[in-house]
Amino acid sequence: MSSLLVALRAEAFLVVRGFGGKLVVLAPAGVALLQFLFTQLTTSGQTARQSLLGNNDFDAVAATNAYGYFVDGIKTGLTILTLLLVAQAAYSFSSERDLGTLRHLLIRRASRSNVVLSKLLLLHLQALIAVLLLLLATGWLAGVFWEYGAVVEDGYELISVPEIHAEIRSGILLALLPMPAAIAFGVLVSVSAQSVTQAVTTALGITLTLDIFKSMLGDWGHYLYASFQPSLLDQSYLQDVSRLVRGYSDVLIDERFYQLNLWVPLPTLLLFVVASLIIVRLRQV
Amino acid sequence: MQTQSDTALAITGLTKRYDAVTVLDALELSITRGAIHGLVGLNGSGKTTTIECLLGLQGFQAGTVTVLGHEPTQLYRTQGRVVAIFDTPSLHPGLTVRQNLELARLLCDKPVRSPAHVEKLLGIERYSRFRVSQLSLGNKRRASIAQALLGNPELIILDEPFNGLDAGGVDDVLQLIQHLNRDAGTSFFLCSHQLPYLEQVCTHIAILHKGRIATSGTITDLLGGASSLALVRTEQIDAARALIDAHPGLQARPLDANGYLPVDLGDVSSSELNALLVSNRIGVAELQMQRASLTGLFREINGGGDNV
Repeated sequence: MSSLLVALRAEAFLVVRGFGGKLVVLAPAGVALLQFLFTQLTTSGQTARQSLLGNNDFDAVAATNAYGYFVDGIKTGLTILTLLLVAQAAYSFSSERDLGTLRHLLIRRASRSNVVLSKLLLLHLQALIAVLLLLLATGWLAGVFWEYGAVVEDGYELISVPEIHAEIRSGILLALLPMPAAIAFGVLVSVSAQSVTQAVTTALGITLTLDIFKSMLGDWGHYLYASFQPSLLDQSYLQDVSRLVRGYSDVLIDERFYQLNLWVPLPTLLLFVVASLIIVRLRQV
Repeated sequence: MQTQSDTALAITGLTKRYDAVTVLDALELSITRGAIHGLVGLNGSGKTTTIECLLGLQGFQAGTVTVLGHEPTQLYRTQGRVVAIFDTPSLHPGLTVRQNLELARLLCDKPVRSPAHVEKLLGIERYSRFRVSQLSLGNKRRASIAQALLGNPELIILDEPFNGLDAGGVDDVLQLIQHLNRDAGTSFFLCSHQLPYLEQVCTHIAILHKGRIATSGTITDLLGGASSLALVRTEQIDAARALIDAHPGLQARPLDANGYLPVDLGDVSSSELNALLVSNRIGVAELQMQRASLTGLFREINGGGDNV
Protein backbone atom coordinates (compact mmCIF):
# COMPACT_ATOMS: atom_id res chain seq x y z
CA MET A 1 0.00 0.00 0.00
CA SER A 2 1.39 3.41 -0.92
CA SER A 3 2.66 5.80 1.70
CA LEU A 4 -0.03 8.37 0.83
CA LEU A 5 -2.82 5.82 1.09
CA VAL A 6 -1.62 4.68 4.53
CA ALA A 7 -1.43 8.31 5.69
CA LEU A 8 -4.94 8.94 4.32
CA ARG A 9 -6.36 5.89 6.11
CA ALA A 10 -4.74 6.89 9.39
CA GLU A 11 -6.00 10.46 9.04
CA ALA A 12 -9.51 9.29 8.11
CA PHE A 13 -9.51 7.03 11.19
CA LEU A 14 -8.79 10.04 13.41
CA VAL A 15 -11.24 12.38 11.66
CA VAL A 16 -14.12 9.91 11.96
CA ARG A 17 -13.48 9.28 15.66
CA GLY A 18 -12.30 12.72 16.71
CA PHE A 19 -14.37 15.66 17.93
CA GLY A 20 -12.81 18.18 15.51
CA GLY A 21 -13.94 16.33 12.38
CA LYS A 22 -17.54 16.13 13.56
CA LEU A 23 -17.52 19.80 14.57
CA VAL A 24 -16.28 20.92 11.15
CA VAL A 25 -18.93 18.90 9.32
CA LEU A 26 -21.93 19.61 11.56
CA ALA A 27 -21.40 23.06 13.10
CA PRO A 28 -21.86 25.24 9.95
CA ALA A 29 -25.26 23.67 9.15
CA GLY A 30 -26.22 23.73 12.83
CA VAL A 31 -25.40 27.42 13.23
CA ALA A 32 -27.24 28.31 9.98
CA LEU A 33 -30.33 26.44 11.17
CA LEU A 34 -30.23 28.23 14.52
CA GLN A 35 -30.01 31.52 12.65
CA PHE A 36 -33.16 30.56 10.70
CA LEU A 37 -35.03 29.74 13.88
CA PHE A 38 -34.20 33.08 15.49
CA THR A 39 -34.98 34.97 12.25
CA GLN A 40 -38.31 33.17 11.91
CA LEU A 41 -39.23 34.02 15.49
CA THR A 42 -38.34 37.70 14.94
CA THR A 43 -40.00 38.08 11.52
CA SER A 44 -43.15 36.28 12.67
CA GLY A 45 -43.53 38.86 15.40
CA GLN A 46 -42.87 41.74 13.02
CA THR A 47 -45.27 40.36 10.36
CA ALA A 48 -48.01 39.99 12.93
CA ARG A 49 -47.43 43.58 14.06
CA GLN A 50 -47.47 44.90 10.45
CA SER A 51 -50.68 42.98 9.69
CA LEU A 52 -52.37 44.43 12.75
CA LEU A 53 -51.34 47.92 11.60
CA GLY A 54 -52.62 47.15 8.06
CA ASN A 55 -49.22 47.76 6.39
CA ASN A 56 -48.12 45.58 3.46
CA ASP A 57 -45.10 47.18 1.83
CA PHE A 58 -42.31 45.81 -0.38
CA ASP A 59 -40.10 45.01 2.61
CA ALA A 60 -42.78 42.68 3.92
CA VAL A 61 -43.07 40.94 0.54
CA ALA A 62 -39.29 40.57 0.23
CA ALA A 63 -39.17 39.20 3.77
CA THR A 64 -41.26 36.21 2.77
CA ASN A 65 -38.93 35.07 -0.04
CA ALA A 66 -36.87 32.06 1.06
CA TYR A 67 -33.95 32.76 -1.30
CA GLY A 68 -32.68 35.68 0.79
CA TYR A 69 -32.69 33.60 3.96
CA PHE A 70 -31.13 30.69 2.12
CA VAL A 71 -28.21 32.88 1.01
CA ASP A 72 -27.87 34.35 4.51
CA GLY A 73 -27.73 30.84 5.96
CA ILE A 74 -25.05 29.82 3.45
CA LYS A 75 -23.05 32.96 4.25
CA THR A 76 -23.18 32.33 7.99
CA GLY A 77 -22.37 28.65 7.52
CA LEU A 78 -19.41 29.34 5.24
CA THR A 79 -18.04 31.97 7.64
CA ILE A 80 -18.15 29.48 10.50
CA LEU A 81 -16.80 26.71 8.27
CA THR A 82 -13.81 28.78 7.13
CA LEU A 83 -12.84 29.66 10.69
CA LEU A 84 -13.27 26.05 11.84
CA LEU A 85 -11.26 24.72 8.91
CA VAL A 86 -8.41 27.15 9.55
CA ALA A 87 -8.37 26.14 13.23
CA GLN A 88 -8.64 22.44 12.43
CA ALA A 89 -5.90 22.68 9.81
CA ALA A 90 -3.64 24.48 12.27
CA TYR A 91 -4.41 21.82 14.89
CA SER A 92 -3.98 18.82 12.60
CA PHE A 93 -0.21 18.54 12.23
CA SER A 94 0.94 20.41 15.32
CA SER A 95 -1.24 18.39 17.70
CA GLU A 96 0.15 15.11 16.38
CA ARG A 97 3.66 16.46 16.71
CA ASP A 98 2.99 17.56 20.30
CA LEU A 99 1.48 14.18 21.20
CA GLY A 100 4.34 12.34 19.52
CA THR A 101 1.95 10.23 17.45
CA LEU A 102 3.31 11.74 14.24
CA ARG A 103 6.62 9.96 14.85
CA HIS A 104 4.98 6.54 14.58
CA LEU A 105 3.45 7.40 11.23
CA LEU A 106 6.75 8.74 9.88
CA ILE A 107 8.84 5.83 11.11
CA ARG A 108 6.49 3.06 10.05
CA ARG A 109 4.71 3.90 6.85
CA ALA A 110 4.44 7.48 5.58
CA SER A 111 6.75 10.19 4.33
CA ARG A 112 6.51 13.70 5.75
CA SER A 113 5.15 15.08 2.48
CA ASN A 114 2.45 12.44 2.34
CA VAL A 115 1.40 13.14 5.93
CA VAL A 116 0.89 16.81 5.02
CA LEU A 117 -0.92 15.94 1.78
CA SER A 118 -3.18 13.47 3.57
CA LYS A 119 -4.18 16.13 6.08
CA LEU A 120 -4.87 18.62 3.29
CA LEU A 121 -6.98 16.10 1.36
CA LEU A 122 -8.99 15.03 4.40
CA LEU A 123 -9.64 18.65 5.38
CA HIS A 124 -10.95 19.29 1.86
CA LEU A 125 -13.14 16.23 2.10
CA GLN A 126 -14.54 17.47 5.42
CA ALA A 127 -15.12 20.89 3.84
CA LEU A 128 -16.96 19.29 0.92
CA ILE A 129 -19.23 17.25 3.18
CA ALA A 130 -19.85 20.28 5.41
CA VAL A 131 -20.79 22.45 2.40
CA LEU A 132 -23.15 19.79 0.99
CA LEU A 133 -24.78 19.38 4.39
CA LEU A 134 -25.04 23.14 4.76
CA LEU A 135 -26.70 23.52 1.33
CA LEU A 136 -29.15 20.71 1.99
CA ALA A 137 -30.06 21.83 5.51
CA THR A 138 -30.43 25.54 4.72
CA GLY A 139 -32.23 24.83 1.43
CA TRP A 140 -34.71 22.58 3.18
CA LEU A 141 -35.40 24.72 6.27
CA ALA A 142 -35.64 28.00 4.31
CA GLY A 143 -38.34 26.27 2.24
CA VAL A 144 -40.15 25.16 5.40
CA PHE A 145 -40.20 28.65 6.97
CA TRP A 146 -40.55 30.82 3.84
CA GLU A 147 -41.49 30.43 0.18
CA TYR A 148 -39.12 30.15 -2.76
CA GLY A 149 -40.09 32.31 -5.74
CA ALA A 150 -39.22 35.17 -8.05
CA VAL A 151 -38.83 38.69 -6.66
CA VAL A 152 -42.10 40.44 -7.57
CA GLU A 153 -43.19 44.02 -6.88
CA ASP A 154 -46.64 45.30 -7.78
CA GLY A 155 -47.18 42.27 -10.06
CA TYR A 156 -43.91 42.97 -11.95
CA GLU A 157 -41.21 40.29 -11.80
CA LEU A 158 -37.99 42.06 -10.86
CA ILE A 159 -35.79 38.95 -10.81
CA SER A 160 -36.85 35.57 -12.16
CA VAL A 161 -36.14 32.24 -10.43
CA PRO A 162 -33.55 31.12 -13.04
CA GLU A 163 -31.73 34.45 -12.58
CA ILE A 164 -31.76 33.99 -8.83
CA HIS A 165 -30.41 30.44 -9.20
CA ALA A 166 -27.64 31.64 -11.50
CA GLU A 167 -26.59 34.37 -9.06
CA ILE A 168 -26.67 32.02 -6.06
CA ARG A 169 -24.60 29.43 -7.96
CA SER A 170 -22.11 32.11 -8.91
CA GLY A 171 -21.98 33.52 -5.36
CA ILE A 172 -21.40 30.10 -3.79
CA LEU A 173 -18.73 29.17 -6.32
CA LEU A 174 -16.85 32.42 -5.78
CA ALA A 175 -17.16 32.06 -2.00
CA LEU A 176 -15.83 28.49 -2.09
CA LEU A 177 -12.80 29.22 -4.27
CA PRO A 178 -10.69 30.80 -1.46
CA MET A 179 -11.49 27.97 0.97
CA PRO A 180 -8.64 25.61 -0.14
CA ALA A 181 -6.17 28.49 0.30
CA ALA A 182 -7.55 29.11 3.81
CA ILE A 183 -7.10 25.39 4.64
CA ALA A 184 -3.57 25.38 3.22
CA PHE A 185 -2.77 28.50 5.25
CA GLY A 186 -3.83 26.64 8.42
CA VAL A 187 -1.62 23.68 7.49
CA LEU A 188 1.32 25.98 6.74
CA VAL A 189 1.01 27.55 10.19
CA SER A 190 0.64 24.07 11.68
CA VAL A 191 3.90 22.75 10.24
CA SER A 192 5.75 25.96 11.11
CA ALA A 193 4.56 26.49 14.70
CA GLN A 194 6.38 25.28 17.82
CA SER A 195 3.25 23.98 19.54
CA VAL A 196 -0.41 23.30 18.93
CA THR A 197 -1.51 26.31 20.97
CA GLN A 198 0.78 28.58 18.99
CA ALA A 199 -0.46 27.10 15.71
CA VAL A 200 -4.18 27.52 16.40
CA THR A 201 -3.92 31.00 17.91
CA THR A 202 -1.62 32.22 15.14
CA ALA A 203 -3.77 30.83 12.31
CA LEU A 204 -7.02 32.20 13.74
CA GLY A 205 -5.38 35.46 14.78
CA ILE A 206 -3.99 36.13 11.31
CA THR A 207 -7.28 35.14 9.64
CA LEU A 208 -9.28 37.51 11.84
CA THR A 209 -6.68 40.28 11.43
CA LEU A 210 -6.90 39.97 7.65
CA ASP A 211 -10.68 40.14 7.96
CA ILE A 212 -10.53 43.36 9.96
CA PHE A 213 -7.86 45.15 7.94
CA LYS A 214 -8.57 43.92 4.38
CA SER A 215 -10.76 46.95 3.63
CA MET A 216 -7.84 49.26 4.50
CA LEU A 217 -5.75 47.69 1.74
CA GLY A 218 -7.96 49.24 -0.93
CA ASP A 219 -7.51 47.65 -4.35
CA TRP A 220 -4.52 45.68 -3.06
CA GLY A 221 -6.95 43.75 -0.90
CA HIS A 222 -8.25 42.06 -4.06
CA TYR A 223 -4.93 40.25 -4.37
CA LEU A 224 -5.57 38.62 -1.01
CA TYR A 225 -7.46 35.32 -1.04
CA ALA A 226 -9.18 36.24 2.23
CA SER A 227 -11.01 39.16 0.60
CA PHE A 228 -13.21 36.76 -1.32
CA GLN A 229 -14.26 34.42 1.46
CA PRO A 230 -17.42 34.96 3.53
CA SER A 231 -16.29 36.44 6.85
CA LEU A 232 -17.40 38.49 9.81
CA LEU A 233 -16.76 41.70 7.83
CA ASP A 234 -17.98 40.24 4.58
CA GLN A 235 -16.82 41.60 1.22
CA SER A 236 -17.52 38.45 -0.77
CA TYR A 237 -19.89 38.36 -3.71
CA LEU A 238 -22.26 36.24 -1.64
CA GLN A 239 -22.97 39.39 0.40
CA ASP A 240 -24.16 41.12 -2.82
CA VAL A 241 -26.17 38.03 -3.83
CA SER A 242 -28.02 38.22 -0.53
CA ARG A 243 -29.24 41.74 -1.44
CA LEU A 244 -29.77 40.87 -5.10
CA VAL A 245 -32.16 37.98 -4.45
CA ARG A 246 -34.22 40.25 -2.20
CA GLY A 247 -34.58 42.77 -4.99
CA TYR A 248 -32.58 45.49 -3.21
CA SER A 249 -29.94 45.64 -5.91
CA ASP A 250 -29.64 44.93 -9.61
CA VAL A 251 -25.91 45.56 -9.73
CA LEU A 252 -24.16 42.43 -10.87
CA ILE A 253 -20.58 41.54 -10.06
CA ASP A 254 -17.75 43.83 -11.13
CA GLU A 255 -15.77 42.06 -13.87
CA ARG A 256 -12.36 42.85 -12.35
CA PHE A 257 -13.45 41.62 -8.91
CA TYR A 258 -14.85 38.49 -10.56
CA GLN A 259 -11.60 37.72 -12.40
CA LEU A 260 -9.46 38.28 -9.31
CA ASN A 261 -11.84 36.12 -7.26
CA LEU A 262 -11.38 33.40 -9.85
CA TRP A 263 -7.58 33.58 -10.15
CA VAL A 264 -6.07 34.83 -6.89
CA PRO A 265 -6.90 31.87 -4.59
CA LEU A 266 -5.30 29.15 -6.74
CA PRO A 267 -1.68 30.44 -6.80
CA THR A 268 -2.04 31.30 -3.12
CA LEU A 269 -3.08 27.71 -2.44
CA LEU A 270 -0.10 26.37 -4.39
CA LEU A 271 2.27 28.74 -2.61
CA PHE A 272 1.03 27.62 0.83
CA VAL A 273 1.18 23.92 -0.09
CA VAL A 274 4.70 24.14 -1.50
CA ALA A 275 5.89 26.15 1.53
CA SER A 276 4.32 23.57 3.87
CA LEU A 277 6.03 20.69 2.05
CA ILE A 278 9.41 22.41 2.18
CA ILE A 279 9.13 23.35 5.85
CA VAL A 280 7.96 19.90 6.94
CA ARG A 281 10.98 18.29 5.30
CA LEU A 282 13.41 20.62 7.03
CA ARG A 283 12.15 20.83 10.56
CA GLN A 284 12.55 18.60 13.60
CA VAL A 285 9.50 16.47 14.36
CA MET B 1 33.44 -10.17 8.97
CA GLN B 2 30.07 -8.49 9.48
CA THR B 3 28.03 -7.98 6.31
CA GLN B 4 25.37 -5.37 5.77
CA SER B 5 22.64 -7.98 6.10
CA ASP B 6 23.97 -8.89 9.56
CA THR B 7 23.72 -5.29 10.68
CA ALA B 8 20.44 -3.94 12.01
CA LEU B 9 21.76 -0.47 12.70
CA ALA B 10 24.99 1.24 11.69
CA ILE B 11 26.07 4.69 12.82
CA THR B 12 29.30 6.13 11.44
CA GLY B 13 30.78 9.49 12.41
CA LEU B 14 27.43 10.87 13.59
CA THR B 15 27.88 14.48 14.64
CA LYS B 16 25.04 16.56 16.02
CA ARG B 17 25.42 20.12 17.23
CA TYR B 18 22.90 22.47 18.81
CA ASP B 19 24.42 25.84 17.97
CA ALA B 20 27.87 25.77 19.56
CA VAL B 21 27.22 22.70 21.71
CA THR B 22 28.33 19.39 20.22
CA VAL B 23 26.04 16.70 21.59
CA LEU B 24 27.24 13.81 19.44
CA ASP B 25 30.84 13.89 18.34
CA ALA B 26 31.59 11.47 15.48
CA LEU B 27 29.59 8.72 17.17
CA GLU B 28 30.26 5.17 15.98
CA LEU B 29 27.90 2.32 16.79
CA SER B 30 26.86 -0.87 15.11
CA ILE B 31 24.14 -3.28 16.16
CA THR B 32 24.03 -6.80 14.82
CA ARG B 33 20.74 -8.47 14.00
CA GLY B 34 19.38 -10.49 16.85
CA ALA B 35 21.17 -8.46 19.52
CA ILE B 36 19.63 -6.67 22.45
CA HIS B 37 21.79 -3.59 22.54
CA GLY B 38 21.64 -1.08 25.38
CA LEU B 39 22.86 2.50 25.28
CA VAL B 40 23.56 4.24 28.56
CA GLY B 41 24.82 7.68 29.41
CA LEU B 42 24.43 10.57 31.83
CA ASN B 43 21.49 12.95 31.57
CA GLY B 44 22.01 15.12 28.53
CA SER B 45 24.66 12.82 27.11
CA GLY B 46 22.73 12.53 23.83
CA LYS B 47 20.89 9.22 24.10
CA THR B 48 17.53 10.57 22.95
CA THR B 49 19.25 12.75 20.33
CA THR B 50 20.93 9.59 18.99
CA ILE B 51 17.55 7.88 18.73
CA GLU B 52 15.92 10.89 17.07
CA CYS B 53 18.76 11.15 14.55
CA LEU B 54 18.63 7.50 13.63
CA LEU B 55 14.84 7.63 13.25
CA GLY B 56 15.06 10.66 10.98
CA LEU B 57 13.15 12.86 13.40
CA GLN B 58 15.94 15.41 13.40
CA GLY B 59 18.83 16.13 11.09
CA PHE B 60 22.52 15.98 11.90
CA GLN B 61 25.61 17.82 10.69
CA ALA B 62 27.83 14.88 9.69
CA GLY B 63 27.97 11.12 9.53
CA THR B 64 25.91 8.33 8.08
CA VAL B 65 23.17 6.28 9.64
CA THR B 66 21.49 3.22 8.19
CA VAL B 67 18.66 1.33 9.82
CA LEU B 68 17.94 -2.03 8.19
CA GLY B 69 19.75 -0.66 5.15
CA HIS B 70 17.63 2.52 4.94
CA GLU B 71 18.50 6.14 5.57
CA PRO B 72 16.74 7.68 8.57
CA THR B 73 14.39 9.88 6.50
CA GLN B 74 13.40 6.87 4.40
CA LEU B 75 12.49 4.60 7.31
CA TYR B 76 8.85 4.50 6.23
CA ARG B 77 10.06 2.38 3.31
CA THR B 78 10.78 -0.46 5.75
CA GLN B 79 6.99 -0.87 5.92
CA GLY B 80 6.90 -1.17 9.69
CA ARG B 81 9.94 -3.44 10.10
CA VAL B 82 11.31 -0.77 12.44
CA VAL B 83 9.21 0.48 15.34
CA ALA B 84 10.04 2.82 18.17
CA ILE B 85 8.68 3.29 21.66
CA PHE B 86 9.47 6.68 23.09
CA ASP B 87 10.04 7.96 26.61
CA THR B 88 6.62 9.62 26.60
CA PRO B 89 3.67 7.43 25.58
CA SER B 90 2.74 8.61 22.08
CA LEU B 91 -0.99 7.93 22.03
CA HIS B 92 -4.13 9.85 21.11
CA PRO B 93 -5.62 10.80 24.50
CA GLY B 94 -9.16 11.18 23.15
CA LEU B 95 -9.25 7.66 21.68
CA THR B 96 -9.68 4.44 23.66
CA VAL B 97 -6.83 1.99 24.11
CA ARG B 98 -8.45 -0.31 21.54
CA GLN B 99 -8.88 2.53 19.03
CA ASN B 100 -5.23 3.52 19.44
CA LEU B 101 -4.24 -0.07 18.76
CA GLU B 102 -6.55 -0.27 15.73
CA LEU B 103 -4.91 2.89 14.41
CA ALA B 104 -1.46 1.40 14.98
CA ARG B 105 -2.65 -1.75 13.18
CA LEU B 106 -3.39 0.36 10.10
CA LEU B 107 0.30 1.26 10.05
CA CYS B 108 1.41 -2.39 10.03
CA ASP B 109 2.16 -3.86 6.65
CA LYS B 110 1.45 -7.38 7.84
CA PRO B 111 -0.15 -7.42 11.30
CA VAL B 112 0.55 -10.68 13.10
CA ARG B 113 -1.26 -9.99 16.35
CA SER B 114 -4.71 -8.59 17.03
CA PRO B 115 -5.30 -5.61 19.33
CA ALA B 116 -7.00 -7.98 21.80
CA HIS B 117 -3.93 -10.25 21.78
CA VAL B 118 -1.42 -7.47 22.51
CA GLU B 119 -3.71 -6.03 25.19
CA LYS B 120 -3.57 -9.41 26.90
CA LEU B 121 0.21 -9.67 26.44
CA LEU B 122 0.66 -6.35 28.24
CA GLY B 123 -2.06 -6.96 30.82
CA ILE B 124 -4.25 -4.03 29.79
CA GLU B 125 -7.25 -5.94 28.43
CA ARG B 126 -9.56 -4.53 31.10
CA TYR B 127 -8.68 -0.98 30.04
CA SER B 128 -9.52 -1.67 26.41
CA ARG B 129 -12.56 0.66 26.39
CA PHE B 130 -10.90 3.34 28.50
CA ARG B 131 -9.81 6.56 26.89
CA VAL B 132 -6.02 6.92 27.06
CA SER B 133 -6.46 10.17 29.02
CA GLN B 134 -8.06 8.09 31.80
CA LEU B 135 -5.08 5.72 32.18
CA SER B 136 -2.21 5.86 34.65
CA LEU B 137 1.27 6.57 33.29
CA GLY B 138 2.22 2.91 33.67
CA ASN B 139 -0.78 1.70 31.68
CA LYS B 140 -0.18 4.34 29.02
CA ARG B 141 3.35 2.97 28.78
CA ARG B 142 1.98 -0.58 28.41
CA ALA B 143 -0.45 0.56 25.70
CA SER B 144 2.41 2.32 23.95
CA ILE B 145 4.49 -0.88 23.98
CA ALA B 146 1.45 -2.88 22.83
CA GLN B 147 1.32 -0.74 19.66
CA ALA B 148 4.76 -1.98 18.69
CA LEU B 149 3.81 -5.64 18.95
CA LEU B 150 0.94 -5.70 16.43
CA GLY B 151 3.30 -6.38 13.56
CA ASN B 152 6.43 -8.43 13.37
CA PRO B 153 9.16 -5.79 13.56
CA GLU B 154 12.77 -6.73 12.94
CA LEU B 155 14.10 -3.90 15.06
CA ILE B 156 12.46 -2.27 18.08
CA ILE B 157 13.97 0.93 19.41
CA LEU B 158 13.02 1.83 22.96
CA ASP B 159 13.77 5.09 24.76
CA GLU B 160 13.49 4.70 28.53
CA PRO B 161 11.07 1.74 28.28
CA PHE B 162 10.88 1.20 32.04
CA ASN B 163 9.80 4.73 33.01
CA GLY B 164 6.53 4.74 34.91
CA LEU B 165 6.27 0.94 35.13
CA ASP B 166 5.77 -0.88 38.43
CA ALA B 167 7.88 -3.94 39.30
CA GLY B 168 5.40 -6.29 37.62
CA GLY B 169 5.35 -4.14 34.51
CA VAL B 170 9.14 -4.11 34.33
CA ASP B 171 9.23 -7.91 34.63
CA ASP B 172 6.60 -8.23 31.87
CA VAL B 173 8.57 -5.96 29.55
CA LEU B 174 11.87 -7.72 30.28
CA GLN B 175 10.26 -11.11 29.58
CA LEU B 176 8.62 -9.79 26.44
CA ILE B 177 11.93 -8.46 25.12
CA GLN B 178 13.67 -11.77 25.81
CA HIS B 179 10.76 -13.74 24.35
CA LEU B 180 10.61 -11.71 21.12
CA ASN B 181 14.37 -11.79 20.76
CA ARG B 182 14.57 -15.55 21.28
CA ASP B 183 11.50 -16.67 19.32
CA ALA B 184 11.18 -14.07 16.55
CA GLY B 185 14.80 -12.96 16.32
CA THR B 186 13.78 -9.33 16.92
CA SER B 187 16.69 -6.95 17.48
CA PHE B 188 16.41 -4.34 20.20
CA PHE B 189 18.09 -1.02 20.83
CA LEU B 190 17.33 0.30 24.30
CA CYS B 191 18.26 3.55 25.98
CA SER B 192 17.66 3.57 29.69
CA HIS B 193 18.83 4.88 33.03
CA GLN B 194 17.81 1.63 34.67
CA LEU B 195 21.19 -0.06 34.46
CA PRO B 196 20.29 -3.19 36.46
CA TYR B 197 17.41 -3.90 34.05
CA LEU B 198 19.67 -3.39 31.05
CA GLU B 199 22.21 -5.71 32.63
CA GLN B 200 19.50 -8.38 32.95
CA VAL B 201 18.26 -8.21 29.41
CA CYS B 202 20.97 -6.85 27.10
CA THR B 203 23.44 -8.90 25.16
CA HIS B 204 25.47 -5.79 24.26
CA ILE B 205 26.02 -2.44 25.94
CA ALA B 206 27.48 0.85 24.76
CA ILE B 207 28.29 3.66 27.16
CA LEU B 208 27.90 7.16 25.79
CA HIS B 209 30.28 9.71 27.30
CA LYS B 210 30.96 13.23 26.05
CA GLY B 211 29.26 12.56 22.71
CA ARG B 212 31.23 9.43 21.94
CA ILE B 213 30.96 5.74 22.71
CA ALA B 214 33.37 5.34 25.63
CA THR B 215 33.13 1.56 25.59
CA SER B 216 30.98 -1.01 23.89
CA GLY B 217 30.77 -4.77 23.67
CA THR B 218 28.99 -7.79 25.02
CA ILE B 219 27.92 -7.68 28.64
CA THR B 220 30.23 -10.59 29.44
CA ASP B 221 33.27 -8.91 27.89
CA LEU B 222 32.55 -5.54 29.47
CA LEU B 223 31.93 -6.82 32.98
CA GLY B 224 34.71 -9.37 32.71
CA GLY B 225 37.05 -6.49 31.96
CA ALA B 226 35.87 -4.41 34.90
CA SER B 227 38.24 -4.41 37.84
CA SER B 228 37.42 -6.67 40.81
CA LEU B 229 37.04 -4.80 44.03
CA ALA B 230 37.25 -6.09 47.59
CA LEU B 231 35.97 -4.10 50.56
CA VAL B 232 37.99 -4.57 53.74
CA ARG B 233 36.95 -3.47 57.24
CA THR B 234 39.81 -3.21 59.70
CA GLU B 235 40.86 -1.03 62.61
CA GLN B 236 44.44 -0.84 61.33
CA ILE B 237 43.70 1.20 58.21
CA ASP B 238 47.13 2.77 57.73
CA ALA B 239 49.04 -0.47 58.23
CA ALA B 240 46.67 -2.31 55.89
CA ARG B 241 46.99 0.36 53.22
CA ALA B 242 50.80 0.32 53.39
CA LEU B 243 50.88 -3.45 53.15
CA ILE B 244 48.43 -3.59 50.24
CA ASP B 245 50.15 -0.86 48.24
CA ALA B 246 53.50 -2.62 48.70
CA HIS B 247 52.13 -5.86 47.26
CA PRO B 248 52.39 -6.23 43.48
CA GLY B 249 48.97 -6.18 41.73
CA LEU B 250 47.05 -4.74 44.69
CA GLN B 251 45.95 -1.13 44.99
CA ALA B 252 44.14 0.47 47.92
CA ARG B 253 41.67 3.26 47.27
CA PRO B 254 40.54 6.01 49.67
CA LEU B 255 38.15 4.90 52.44
CA ASP B 256 34.56 4.88 51.29
CA ALA B 257 31.67 6.58 53.10
CA ASN B 258 30.90 3.40 55.07
CA GLY B 259 34.43 3.03 56.45
CA TYR B 260 35.47 0.23 54.11
CA LEU B 261 38.86 0.21 52.47
CA PRO B 262 38.29 -0.59 48.78
CA VAL B 263 41.05 -2.68 47.22
CA ASP B 264 41.58 -3.29 43.52
CA LEU B 265 42.48 -6.96 43.36
CA GLY B 266 43.92 -7.26 39.88
CA ASP B 267 44.88 -10.93 39.52
CA VAL B 268 44.97 -11.54 43.26
CA SER B 269 42.09 -13.49 44.79
CA SER B 270 40.17 -12.35 47.86
CA SER B 271 41.45 -15.29 49.90
CA GLU B 272 45.06 -14.33 49.04
CA LEU B 273 44.32 -10.77 50.21
CA ASN B 274 42.84 -12.10 53.45
CA ALA B 275 45.86 -14.37 53.99
CA LEU B 276 48.25 -11.47 53.33
CA LEU B 277 46.55 -9.24 55.91
CA VAL B 278 46.18 -11.92 58.60
CA SER B 279 49.74 -13.20 58.16
CA ASN B 280 50.94 -9.63 58.81
CA ARG B 281 48.86 -9.46 62.04
CA ILE B 282 46.28 -7.11 60.67
CA GLY B 283 42.87 -8.01 62.05
CA VAL B 284 40.24 -8.29 59.34
CA ALA B 285 36.77 -7.62 60.74
CA GLU B 286 35.07 -8.06 57.39
CA LEU B 287 36.00 -8.73 53.78
CA GLN B 288 33.48 -8.70 51.00
CA MET B 289 33.68 -8.80 47.22
CA GLN B 290 32.00 -6.13 45.20
CA ARG B 291 30.65 -7.85 42.09
CA ALA B 292 31.46 -6.13 38.79
CA SER B 293 28.27 -4.49 37.58
CA LEU B 294 27.15 -2.22 34.79
CA THR B 295 26.55 0.49 37.37
CA GLY B 296 30.13 0.15 38.62
CA LEU B 297 31.52 0.23 35.09
CA PHE B 298 29.34 3.23 34.24
CA ARG B 299 30.57 5.13 37.30
CA GLU B 300 34.14 4.25 36.50
CA ILE B 301 33.80 5.69 33.00
CA ASN B 302 31.95 8.77 34.16
CA GLY B 303 34.46 9.49 36.90
CA GLY B 304 32.26 8.51 39.82
CA GLY B 305 29.22 10.50 38.65
CA ASP B 306 26.10 8.77 39.85
CA ASN B 307 23.65 10.79 37.85
CA VAL B 308 22.53 7.65 36.07
